[in-house]
Amino acid sequence: MTAGFVLGEREQAAIREALAGLERHVDVLLELGPSSAPVTLLAAGGREVDTNATTRTIVESVCGLDDSLTLEVVEHHGPGPWPRTTIGEGLVYQGMPVGYELTTLVQAIVEAGRSESSLSAGSLERIETLERDLAIDVFVTPT
Amino acid sequence: MLLAYKLALASPRITARGIEASEFATEAERHGVHSVPAIVVDDRHAWAGSVPEPLFVERVLAASG
Repeated sequence: MTAGFVLGEREQAAIREALAGLERHVDVLLELGPSSAPVTLLAAGGREVDTNATTRTIVESVCGLDDSLTLEVVEHHGPGPWPRTTIGEGLVYQGMPVGYELTTLVQAIVEAGRSESSLSAGSLERIETLERDLAIDVFVTPT
Repeated sequence: MLLAYKLALASPRITARGIEASEFATEAERHGVHSVPAIVVDDRHAWAGSVPEPLFVERVLAASG
């Protein structure tokens, strides 16, 4: 795995434990772009990182920890919003899932693997009032 | 981020996407993102910062109106 982004034994054990709670199968789609252009990332301590290769390593490692996960990898040859990971029915993460965002990725898989929503009854009631389609984007920076 | 995902799972009307701001700096700049987490609803910057679930839901609904 790329230096600095190795899933340690303790990390793997924690992820395995979280994934053990999956109540149904979850498909994960990983879309990658050309790996020729490393970018400098604050999330990587200001180092140059091949985000596509690193994301592949991370997502493959996570998906390899539980049989309830199926990973499909698609390689794109042109520019685009890569790396992009799609969990289940449309939970999208654009970028390299490291630091806190690795936790979020695992939590998103756990949520997608639930048979019932973990939102409160009040929240579910409120979003049922939504009368049109809505897109939520959340910008994050892994720490 | 997780709350946005939970909403998307609970409603077929909602989609949710997390975007790493430093990797996609142009997109972040376009939305005037100066701090994270920054929440953008329907391509418009809605608010920045983590909030509890009930407030998150109300803000998303308000931003959609």
